[in-house]
Amino acid sequence: MKERVSKMTRYEVKKVFAKTSSKIAVMLLLFVMGITCFFALDITYVDENGSTREGLAAVSGLKAAQKEWAGCLDEEKIRKVIAENRRIQNTPEALAQDITQKEIAYSWGQGIKEIRNLLNCAYAKGLREYDYYLADSLTEEDAADFYRNRTRLLREWLEGEAKDQFTDEEKEYLIGQYGRMDTPLYYDYMEGWQQLFKFAPTVVMLTMLILGYLVAGIFSNEFAWRSDAVLFSSFYGRNKAVTSKIKAGFCVVTAVYSAVFTIYTGIVLLYLGTDGWNLPIQSSWISWKCFYNITNLQKYLFIIGGGYVGCLFLSFLSMLVSVKTRSAVPAVMVPVLVIFIPSFIANIGSPFVNKIIGLLPDQLLQAGEALNYFNLYSVGGRITGELPVILILYTILTIVILPVLYQTYRRMQIG
Amino acid sequence: MELKLTNLTKEFKDITAVRNISYTMSTGVYGLLGVNGAGKTTLMRMLCTLLKPSGGSITWNGADIFEMDGEYRKILGYLPQDFGFYPDFTVYDYLMYTASIKGLRPVTAKQRIKILLRQVGMEKTAHKKMKKLSGGMKRRVGIAQAMLGNPQILILDEPTAGLDPSERVRFRNLISELADERLVLLSTHIVSDIEYIAGEILLMKAGEIRAAGTSRELIAEMPEQVWSVAAAKEEIDFYMQAYKVSNIKTTRQGAELRIISSDKPAECAVLEEATLEDLFLDYFGERTGEQNDEI
Ligand SMILES: Nc1ncnc2c1ncn2[C@@H]1O[C@H](COP(=O)(O)OP(=O)(O)OP(=O)(O)O)[C@@H](O)[C@H]1O
Ligand SMILES: [Mg+2]
Repeated sequence: MKERVSKMTRYEVKKVFAKTSSKIAVMLLLFVMGITCFFALDITYVDENGSTREGLAAVSGLKAAQKEWAGCLDEEKIRKVIAENRRIQNTPEALAQDITQKEIAYSWGQGIKEIRNLLNCAYAKGLREYDYYLADSLTEEDAADFYRNRTRLLREWLEGEAKDQFTDEEKEYLIGQYGRMDTPLYYDYMEGWQQLFKFAPTVVMLTMLILGYLVAGIFSNEFAWRSDAVLFSSFYGRNKAVTSKIKAGFCVVTAVYSAVFTIYTGIVLLYLGTDGWNLPIQSSWISWKCFYNITNLQKYLFIIGGGYVGCLFLSFLSMLVSVKTRSAVPAVMVPVLVIFIPSFIANIGSPFVNKIIGLLPDQLLQAGEALNYFNLYSVGGRITGELPVILILYTILTIVILPVLYQTYRRMQIG
Repeated sequence: MELKLTNLTKEFKDITAVRNISYTMSTGVYGLLGVNGAGKTTLMRMLCTLLKPSGGSITWNGADIFEMDGEYRKILGYLPQDFGFYPDFTVYDYLMYTASIKGLRPVTAKQRIKILLRQVGMEKTAHKKMKKLSGGMKRRVGIAQAMLGNPQILILDEPTAGLDPSERVRFRNLISELADERLVLLSTHIVSDIEYIAGEILLMKAGEIRAAGTSRELIAEMPEQVWSVAAAKEEIDFYMQAYKVSNIKTTRQGAELRIISSDKPAECAVLEEATLEDLFLDYFGERTGEQNDEI
């Protein structure tokens, strides 16, 4: 019994990949993946002579420079970074007009580049401000305020600009989350993770578009091929054959998605290193303001998991549309619309609209970015950010789609 | 073995494609004869549970076929009129997949496929892609597919359409060969197909079965007679308008007309033995597909 059913599923998968257009779609995916990896690995390092290095030499140069500053980001270390930054800014090379001289000065700062960015965030005038030159105006006395400032800026923002956006409980929740961050942070080289995060949305969305194309026809191609009459008049045509299509959809999404992420993650981390995997995400300035207290690895798992749930949901949604319309054409459009429409609505920018946008499935495809949004929801009396909400919401919705898809297809009239 | 249709009706938005058909079939070959749009395909689709009737019922040995669900489809083989398949599958893969949805074990499936491919003369083309097959080859795979589950009910919708004359003869023989111990229902608008293989002929018109019986019975029951008339050129038009003319053979003097009429159309008219062709014309008032093909 088992053998027969799995055989059916295998043939369903084969129907998908036997098509020339599917093969082209997969090649396209690999091609664009290659380009994305190329950009993700594009690291530069300036050596002490002011000349730019690329490739593995750049990676090892940058790694060595940043490893020198690895360790606890305590007051002592912050003070040293402030001093070192000022020292570099005041060297004749930094003050010179000559590009090469400037590059030499830049090369000295590469080890503290990331921490310098953290300073720009921590001492900014407001939570939403960022000034690239701010670090240059700091003095050693400021070091003591490094962590305290983070919560202070949040408080000021919540009491000022964002006063009406949050309830008192939500404000308390955010301040609490900030307070729960383990201090002092630890600093280390983590270029691998940063590059992974940076290009992950591109990779997920690209995969989704290709997946949408691959799975949109699983159900509806039977109509297009006119093979529906034989299928629906066969013994398993209105039960197990339908299940095997659902399973095939699941297999295609899972196989393509995991292959893509294995390749992407493998290439980037092999090249740039896994260092920093267990550091809090706040030790990178990109996530300094983030209120989720998780590590880089955990953030990446969120990105992978969110992307997977998003791809599954959109794939099955597109299959459902293909069954309802008996055509793959509108179905292929589903992921396209879901990815591109929210960016138009986003321009409205009211808090209420933001809350809605935060729940749209495109957020799952860019879970790394979603972690940075201050969208809060209360679920069952507990306050939480958007990512856990949409992860659960779309897992449930995907599970809800399956029986609808099954029942709609098995009741099809072929005439 | 009894397939029973009771007051079977199918209405589409603006048309009643099948109207109140009651008929019972058991083992044997049934030929469904009707012009385009008569409702043959619609009737067959209902018999294959692809379409739900708007009224009436279909039972197999007393049980409603829609309630039997898979149990009924298990004993069913169907070759649709527009037989569709997976263009990038090889013949073998296509048949293996179809066997799996028909509930055949892989071992059984392999044996059946081997036998059927030989029977339809496709052993050598088993690993060719479906989209690369000729029309005749596709039909043969279609037949093989319908026969996979060794069905008790075999429904073939215009199995010989689009085939060249020699291929058609071969196909007819194949169907006769396969018809043993089954209920075979095949539709066509080509009279000669049915004459050779069908035991029982159903004449379908405008969604109804107007007459049913063996070829001999139907011809015997024909209310009118068939006459042969030698007519001069200028008389042809007159005959064409006044009578049902089933055939015109031009001769040097004019033409020899085959006329269907209850009374003698002319002094010189000679009584002929009626054929199924004549019957078809009598019922449908138009010439058959085969003759049309030849014009
Ligand atoms: N799905 C449908 N929706 C609406 N009308 C339909 C549908 N299928 C068939 N019909 C109509 O029902 C009538 C019978 O069609 P059907 O296909 O059963 O005829 P047929 O005897 O098989 O003709 P042919 O010899 O051309 O195959 C036609 O008038 C057709 O237009
Ligand atoms: Mg038809």
